[in-house]
Amino acid sequence: MRNRVRALRQERGLSQATLAVALGVSRQTINSIETGRYLPSLPLALAIARHFDLIVEEIFDVDE
Amino acid sequence: MSTNDTRRRSTQQWAVPGFAVAAGIAYLIAGIAGDEIGFGIFGFALMLTVAVGVLAVRRRSETVQGLLDRRDERIVQIDLKATAFAGSVVIAAVLIAFIVEIARGNDGSPYTALGAIGGVAYLASVIWNRVRG
Repeated sequence: MRNRVRALRQERGLSQATLAVALGVSRQTINSIETGRYLPSLPLALAIARHFDLIVEEIFDVDE
Repeated sequence: MSTNDTRRRSTQQWAVPGFAVAAGIAYLIAGIAGDEIGFGIFGFALMLTVAVGVLAVRRRSETVQGLLDRRDERIVQIDLKATAFAGSVVIAAVLIAFIVEIARGNDGSPYTALGAIGGVAYLASVIWNRVRG
């Protein structure tokens, strides 16, 4: 699974810590999601999508 | 996040330090009751140190903070995996100790009971989680 979380965060000038606070998770978790080491739950994926005013499919995609 | 969630997580933060203090008090009482006051005082001091240590480290460590307030889903998953691993190690140790006791010609106690408790707890957990869906 690949995602655009890092690109979207950087486009908006957010730090990992700021995004973490907004989503109610740790900075480590944001880093793990960005690097693809952790696959977020559906509720967290939806929260990320809502935070960036996008839909989940525009952020997360299956590697093929 | 609702007020109830905030209150629940605030309470959860004290679960581990509270458990450590309660265990320390139990050690102290057991030590006094069993005429092993030195053990009781050492156990109480040790568990009190654990409780204070956890509270002190949580401000510096996201992981410890996450383990205490259980707010971060990734750290909750890490905690579950670590608990499952620790449980597996304990079960393996109990089984090995049971086999050693049988080989020595003993009846396998207390490992028989410990193994039975582990097996029943596992089955109960599977059934409970199966019913909950």
